[in-house]
Amino acid sequence: MLKNRLKDSHFVKRILIFFAILGPGIITGSVDNDAGGITTYSVAGAMYGYNLIWTLIPSFIVLLVVQEMNARMGIVTGKGLSDLIRENAGMKITFLIFLGLLFSNIGNTTTEFAGVAGSMEIFGISKYISVPVTAVLVWFLVVKGTYQIAERIFLIFSLSLLTYVVSALMSDPDWSAIGTAIVRPQMEMNTQSLAMIIALVGTTIAPWMQFYMQASVIEKGLKMKNYRFTLIDIAVGCVVTVVVAFFIMVACGATLYPNGVSINEAKDAALALKPLAGKLASQVFAFGLFIASVFSATILPLATAFYVSEAFGFEAGIDKKWDEAKEFYSLYTFILVISALIILIPGAPLIKISIWSQVLNGILLPVVLISMILLINNKKIMGVYVNNLIQNIIGWAAVIILVILSVVLLIIPFFSR
Amino acid sequence: MTSLTTFYLSGIIGKEVFDADGDAIGIIRDLLVSSVPSGHNDPGNQTVTGVKLKMKKEYGIYSFNTFRIVKTREVLNVSCSELIKLTEEEVANGMLLVESILDKQIVDLNGRKLVRVNDVRLATLPAGTFAIAVDIGIEGILRRIGIAGYIKRYLNLLHISIPTKFILWDDVQAIDYSNLNIRLSKSYAKLHTLHPSDIADILEDLGKKSSMSVFSALDEEKAADVLEELETHAQIHILENLPVDKAADVLEKMPADEVADILDELEDEKAEMLLKEMDTESSQEVRELLEYPDNTVGSLMSTDFISFNQDTTVEKVIEELRIKKPEPSELYNLFVTEKNEELIGTFNLRDLVIADPKTVLADIMKKEPVFLFDNQKVQDIAELVSKYNLLAVPVVDGNEQLQGMVVVDDVVEDLINERRTKKR
Repeated sequence: MLKNRLKDSHFVKRILIFFAILGPGIITGSVDNDAGGITTYSVAGAMYGYNLIWTLIPSFIVLLVVQEMNARMGIVTGKGLSDLIRENAGMKITFLIFLGLLFSNIGNTTTEFAGVAGSMEIFGISKYISVPVTAVLVWFLVVKGTYQIAERIFLIFSLSLLTYVVSALMSDPDWSAIGTAIVRPQMEMNTQSLAMIIALVGTTIAPWMQFYMQASVIEKGLKMKNYRFTLIDIAVGCVVTVVVAFFIMVACGATLYPNGVSINEAKDAALALKPLAGKLASQVFAFGLFIASVFSATILPLATAFYVSEAFGFEAGIDKKWDEAKEFYSLYTFILVISALIILIPGAPLIKISIWSQVLNGILLPVVLISMILLINNKKIMGVYVNNLIQNIIGWAAVIILVILSVVLLIIPFFSR
Repeated sequence: MTSLTTFYLSGIIGKEVFDADGDAIGIIRDLLVSSVPSGHNDPGNQTVTGVKLKMKKEYGIYSFNTFRIVKTREVLNVSCSELIKLTEEEVANGMLLVESILDKQIVDLNGRKLVRVNDVRLATLPAGTFAIAVDIGIEGILRRIGIAGYIKRYLNLLHISIPTKFILWDDVQAIDYSNLNIRLSKSYAKLHTLHPSDIADILEDLGKKSSMSVFSALDEEKAADVLEELETHAQIHILENLPVDKAADVLEKMPADEVADILDELEDEKAEMLLKEMDTESSQEVRELLEYPDNTVGSLMSTDFISFNQDTTVEKVIEELRIKKPEPSELYNLFVTEKNEELIGTFNLRDLVIADPKTVLADIMKKEPVFLFDNQKVQDIAELVSKYNLLAVPVVDGNEQLQGMVVVDDVVEDLINERRTKKR
């Protein structure tokens, strides 16, 4: 009855429809393009031009298969991924996975704050102002329980990620060269380019996303009956992720690569765009980075605190009071504060932190994926909805490739000395 | 040596069992406790009755009677004089601790919420071995990882202790009877002591399979109360998965307005199927309510109300109420109508109590009562309720015939939902 009442106002009606269409897949896909992702895509574009764009194709397939499995598990069991891992893998494995997840997500959150600091510096605001203010705002937003509004506001803002399309078009890319590069990439296979490929895949398919996806499917109360719509939602989400990634790489590949500009951070990309593509392109890029960073800085610590609490049986949820869910709130605050503080330390080794959190991501991802495939093939848990042959082939192939990539990534430092 | 030995489930799982000659027989994989309580405060419901052993590659569940657990210098030793295999029925009457309790969610009946089990504390007494409590604290987590000892030692130096949290077995209700064919209604018996809205909260937090089996185990009255308290998507999940006849039985026990609200959310086909299965009287009321557009008073009103003729004496009214035993909300406001159901007055319990038993309602009722039309907008209700301090407002149709009443609880719920919807 309330739905109808709200429909009285036209504006509200439009927004309602907009949100009804936005599902877990699209939200997860948008959160995926966080500061870490934007950085990696920019660096890849600046260093290798269009030659690494092809990695988006296998990434897209794996992303699609993995997210579909998450959605199916969430819908069929109604249980979160951490619940399922804890109940079926026992305490020790659960502990290792979540210890890894905690550390990698502190690293990831640090990267988000680096994104906040970097993008605000483009607009002339010091990081000693932007980072504490953002951290405090984010904390209040969540603890005051208005997170749901926040998520939706961010989602509208994250449409600004599409500004990368604008940035890319303003940089006047050579489309036929892009086409050729996708089909026949011209690049040397060495340790550096391999590491870049791993980073690209790792940032597109981050371990924490699996937990996030499954949780949001449950929260939406989706049903197997409408599974086709869920599939569309997931596919659109994956396309959004990959399209944004594509245009960031094109923008940086068209401007920075031919001029031999090498960059370390997403901020550098924004700065470097200025003389090459104009002040507006640079500011558009920085604005997208800022929004994406704040969005992920809100969701990452919250999600991490939530999964860890769920796995170890602590009371969790932003609808709980502080006293009811002490562990949850303490964990959330801890992750937020630590990540913001690291950024504020003068001369903090940000690049090292971002690399190490990516390495941890890379190691965790196969572990999480293997758990997922074992769970989803368990008839006791999934009933008739276990994986079919094709899903298992793609799933295991992805795991094996990722394991090989991760092992290579771990070994590289020993050879590159 | 004392006759009391306490130990943890995590400590006994994986232990080798030796026979009288000191030869290894097998490895302990699980413990069976009798789970179906045969009565109140039955101490038997926590006795360890069996041991699941792994011998080479075979698994078997054996009677616990021939096992002995001894703790010497903090080390557990398990011996077994003779292996007696349990019958399938004996196994079905019990519950495996690792399979159904450890790492699973259980209901903490005192805290009325779901908790996750980190470990189980057991004790051997002369009378037998018992599961006495479940460990849900941080110490249990550390013990399972195998680092509790080290951490305790270091923290002791700093005079800090690790927080421990136990729930006594009596205050625990297991949820996840994954494998066993035990009678569910009996095994969830402890849940019935909880308030319906607490059960509803717990159901919402459970996985889909478990929430169905817990709900199916409730009796119809309780099930109706619980269903009423559930959030919409949980209601839909339950109704779609419950057999139609059982679902209809539960719906019949619910107030018609609540049923209408739920059916409104279901797919038309399913709703029609349920309505056909319900008895005609209940389904008729629901159908009428479903006719009302969503944002009108009619869609929110309850059709459970009590009305009398104006010539009825106070004595007679009280007598009829005693026979009828109405729900509390039905007594928020009582009505006086003409033969054609036209509303002419209202009265409340206070009016009844203080009046002389012989008085007729015409003398004590409030004439020209405040009322709502069934096609009025819901927004009008709150204003009226607060202006006249009413607990329930009568609802009439265009002919001024009494159709139902809007109860303040539903108004409040509606306002809360509206806020929540706007927030999202």
